[in-house]
Amino acid sequence: MPAELSAVNAGFSYGGTPVLRNVTISVPAGGQIGLTGPSGSGKTTLARILAGLLPAGEGTVTCNGQPVQRPWKQKGHGCGIAMLFQSPRASCSPRLTLRQIIAEGAGRTSRGGRARRVEQLAAQVQLTPDLLDRYPSEVSDGQLQRACLARSLAAEPGYLICDEATAMLDAATTASLVRVISSEVESRGMGVLALSHDRPLLEAWCTSVTSLAALSAASGER
Amino acid sequence: MNSIAIRAEGHTVRIPSRTRRGTGWVHAATDVAFSAYRGGVHALVGESGCGKTTFASAVLGMLPPGTMAAGELDYVDASGTRTPLTAGRDGAARAAKLRGRVIGYVPQSPATYLTPVRTVGSQLGETVRELGGARNPQDLLAQVNLEAQALDAFPHELSGGMLQRAAIAFALAGGPDVLLADEPVSGLDPDLAQLTLGLLRRVADAGAAVVLITHDLQRLADSGTADEVSVMYAGRIVESGPASEVLELPSHPYSRDLLAALPANGLQAMPGTSPELTDLPPEYSYAERLAAAAEAGYAR
Amino acid sequence: MSSTVEAADLRLTGPAVRRRGLRAAGTILGVAVLVLIASYAVFVPMLAGTDEKLTDFSSARLPPSAAHPFGTDHAGRDLFIRLASGLRVSLLIAVLCALASMGLGMLIGAVSAALGGRTDRIVMRVVDGINAVPHLLLGVVIVAMFRGSVTAIIASIALTHWTQVARIVRAEVLSLRSREYVEAAYLLGSTRREVLRRHFLPGTLAQGVVATVMLLPHAIWHESTLSFLGLGLSPDQASLGTLLKEAQSEVMLGGWWALVFPALLLLVTTLAVAACGKGLLSRTEGRQ
Repeated sequence: MPAELSAVNAGFSYGGTPVLRNVTISVPAGGQIGLTGPSGSGKTTLARILAGLLPAGEGTVTCNGQPVQRPWKQKGHGCGIAMLFQSPRASCSPRLTLRQIIAEGAGRTSRGGRARRVEQLAAQVQLTPDLLDRYPSEVSDGQLQRACLARSLAAEPGYLICDEATAMLDAATTASLVRVISSEVESRGMGVLALSHDRPLLEAWCTSVTSLAALSAASGER
Repeated sequence: MNSIAIRAEGHTVRIPSRTRRGTGWVHAATDVAFSAYRGGVHALVGESGCGKTTFASAVLGMLPPGTMAAGELDYVDASGTRTPLTAGRDGAARAAKLRGRVIGYVPQSPATYLTPVRTVGSQLGETVRELGGARNPQDLLAQVNLEAQALDAFPHELSGGMLQRAAIAFALAGGPDVLLADEPVSGLDPDLAQLTLGLLRRVADAGAAVVLITHDLQRLADSGTADEVSVMYAGRIVESGPASEVLELPSHPYSRDLLAALPANGLQAMPGTSPELTDLPPEYSYAERLAAAAEAGYAR
Repeated sequence: MSSTVEAADLRLTGPAVRRRGLRAAGTILGVAVLVLIASYAVFVPMLAGTDEKLTDFSSARLPPSAAHPFGTDHAGRDLFIRLASGLRVSLLIAVLCALASMGLGMLIGAVSAALGGRTDRIVMRVVDGINAVPHLLLGVVIVAMFRGSVTAIIASIALTHWTQVARIVRAEVLSLRSREYVEAAYLLGSTRREVLRRHFLPGTLAQGVVATVMLLPHAIWHESTLSFLGLGLSPDQASLGTLLKEAQSEVMLGGWWALVFPALLLLVTTLAVAACGKGLLSRTEGRQ
């Protein structure tokens, strides 16, 4: 069974307009793949299809050999696909403290174990303990995105998709998050797909960088 | 010799903060020295939350009620007359008179800046009328490289890059002497960012003083837009000088670490995190952050 | 690099902090009036004890005076006390109806929107169906089947009014469903039930409470109408409705006080509750 998250000949249309056509991409476990392209080119659509949030109009999406299902229909943990969104504010409920937000990712562990795990993850993403009891409106975007990363890693996902996750952050926070993600890749063999319009960032971060245009063209040649 | 337009000396700002956890003072600026000259672009850089946007608010007279300040922050006109912007209760009122007409402002997210139910042209026309600007909407759009068709478009019909340029057109409507741009290229594609920064350069070349506030050092360095760069950390200016020096051979360890975090320089994570500005101890400096990070086991 | 700034050097740069405006005046007035009415309804009957039931035909139909502030009815009972206990009954029924509607409405609305698809469509058809029938008619039918019992009255109001709450809650949940933090929750492995409990219901609680508070005046009117029609409580039991029904005949005989005071109280209570509801609404909107 191949250890990878992949889409083969994926296609998607909004209404009648095709946004993706014949895209084949594969994210190996333990690898960090970068996908670049201008805003609105369909990167986010591809990301959502890989995560199972959207059903692929055409083609197949598999994770470790199994077809990817819609997350709410998934029985058990599946192969664990986590996603970091562009806007940390939109991806956190304004009613939960950062501690509760991170704990949401650690749902399967016991109560006591969960508290320890939250503290451990917070330290990993460099969130000081006093920030954990704050609400999203009381912390900056950078701190909130760190909490989102902690939440995603809490579930120990097999694959992490970062959809322009650093677009709103300064270089220092970006470098810090990339460091945490890379160390997680090294220690657990997590696979990462990073989407960004910042090619230099992807080239410094990922082992290989491709673009949506290149992927479609390559499929066309097959 | 270019004349100075914005001058700060010992500029200090304390903003009252009332949260669930109690009251305190946010040390948004401490002892800031800054000068922006006509015909040039002065970039103010630093991590998010270091006080850069508050500096813009101070110049525009838009600090929250109850803010206390010390030191001098002046607008200096071409003849050398100084208008203090933060002195006394009417400091904000004086700044308000200059706002839009003499000091223009390009906000961070142009998409939310415009009224969605009116065309760009009608809003721009109204702005020009209200501010008594000399240029008409068509000329303003031409100056920012937007076709005249944009006048009849609604904001949602323009792309992100076009909206950003339209925002600059709005800021120029009053024919300002100073242009403050707050994170004008945040989230933009590299090509659009380059275009926007080029625009700001041309505005400076036409005679205005441009203050560019950004955390995106990469774009700044790539575009070569800035003449001078000031680096801000925890409300203080830690380094200031010509762009070529600060961006390539910085002398302060904070500037060096900030540049090292750029992808082109290796994406090296900075030690620790930036401090909360609320009730910051007066002796705080970058050295403390380095010490705390070393204790926590940070290693390069 | 450190230079301390003397506190004495600091001065204000603009206007000082403004005190919060008087926007809340309307709500405060509403709350004050409600508290007054509630105390009236709770304490007066308590203090009066059995005095309210005392019939004294020698003092029948007396206009308001020092001894009887609201006058007396056809059986000589003091209307000040009787109105208080009537109000107490009406308010109690209205609150129970509102709570029942809220519980039913929130649950059905949230679950329907969370499940989506065919289930949602079926539930919405049911809601439309209930709304299509004049609710008073429906209420009358339910009450007529179970004569005079208080449970029937509560049921008749709750079963016709939960749809209002359900609609509002469903709309809120539909908008929450596509929020990124809900998607994130599903990706982390949360089940639909967990998402409902942790995100949808708390998110809609504010709106649900407001919708329910707005129901209260309506519930009071509904009960009064049923009793007025003789289908609600028995005429012996005091409630706003039965008192208004009595007033019908009293007014013919010149007893204006039998009508004016209950009607005025009904109006004032309705307005006060509406003012509180509006205040709650603007507070919850502000928080979003």
